[in-house]
Amino acid sequence: MARKSVISEAKEIQLAIELIRLGARLQLLESETSLSRERLIKLYKEMKNVSPPKGMLPFSTDWFTTWQPNIHSSMFLNIHAYMVRHANLAGIEAVIKAYQLYLEQLPPAAGEVPVLSLTRAWTLIRFVDSRMLETAACTRCHGSFVVNTLDLHRDYACGLCHVPSRAGKTRKAREAALRYVPIAA
Amino acid sequence: MNATEISAEIRDANLSYLMLAQQMIRADRAAAIFRLGVSNEIAIMLEGLSNAQLLKLAGTNMMLIRFRFDDHAILGMLTDYNKDRALAHSHAAILMAGQPVEDMA
Repeated sequence: MARKSVISEAKEIQLAIELIRLGARLQLLESETSLSRERLIKLYKEMKNVSPPKGMLPFSTDWFTTWQPNIHSSMFLNIHAYMVRHANLAGIEAVIKAYQLYLEQLPPAAGEVPVLSLTRAWTLIRFVDSRMLETAACTRCHGSFVVNTLDLHRDYACGLCHVPSRAGKTRKAREAALRYVPIAA
Repeated sequence: MNATEISAEIRDANLSYLMLAQQMIRADRAAAIFRLGVSNEIAIMLEGLSNAQLLKLAGTNMMLIRFRFDDHAILGMLTDYNKDRALAHSHAAILMAGQPVEDMA
C-alpha cells in the first residue's frame, strides 16, 4: 500500500472543496479524489450545512440532446476541448477550468442554478469518452455540437441555426417577459 | 483624425492590449488562453515580457491585435441576429471555442 502523504491529502481536500463549491455531487467527489466517503460527507456538510443529496446521478444521454441543455453542453464541451488542446490541462482540472469558463459565458440568472451542473458536465465528458455521445459539425455554422453517437448526422443543423418552434417558450420565460418594463427612450 | 493621431491611438491600443493580456495570463494562464484565443507558446512569451520589452513592442505604428472573426458565419451571426441577443452571444462563443488559435509559425 502506498504511504499516505500529508501534502497530497491536503491537495485532495483543496480539490474536494473546489468541487463542492462548484456544486459537485458525492459520487463525483468519490471518483475524483482518494478521500474516504466519511470524510467527504463531513466536508460536504461543513461547507453546505446540509447532507449531500442521496440517490443516483442523472444517467440519461438524451438530456444532452434537448434544445437548451444541448446549447449549454455544447458550449461546455467546446471549451473543454479547447482547454485540453491548447492549455495543456487534463482530467478533473480541465473539467473545473472549463466549467468556470462556461459559467462565465452562460451565467445563470440571479437566484437560479446553472442549466448544466458540474456533475452533469463531468458526466458529459465521461459519455463522450465512452463514445455514447459525440460532436457533429452543423452544416450551416460549422460549429460542433453534442449529438447522440447512434443518430444520423448527415445534413445536421444545430439548435441555434434551426431553432425549434417552441424552443425557450417556457412558463418562466413568459412570466419574465410580463415583468419586463421597457426603458423609456 | 489625421495620420499622426491614428498612429498614436494605435500605440495606445497596443499598449493596453499587451498589458491586459499579460495581467490575464499571470492571473490564470488557462483561462487567458481561452479568452485571448492564443496558443500556449504565445501566452508563455507574453507572460515573460519585461516592461521595457512591452513598451518597445507596443510602440510600433501597426496594430498588434488581429480581428478574430475571419469567419463570415460568425461575423454575420453577431451583427444581424434577428433573435435573442443572448442566443447570438452563446452561438458565437461556441463557434469561437471551436476556432483554431493564433499560433507561432
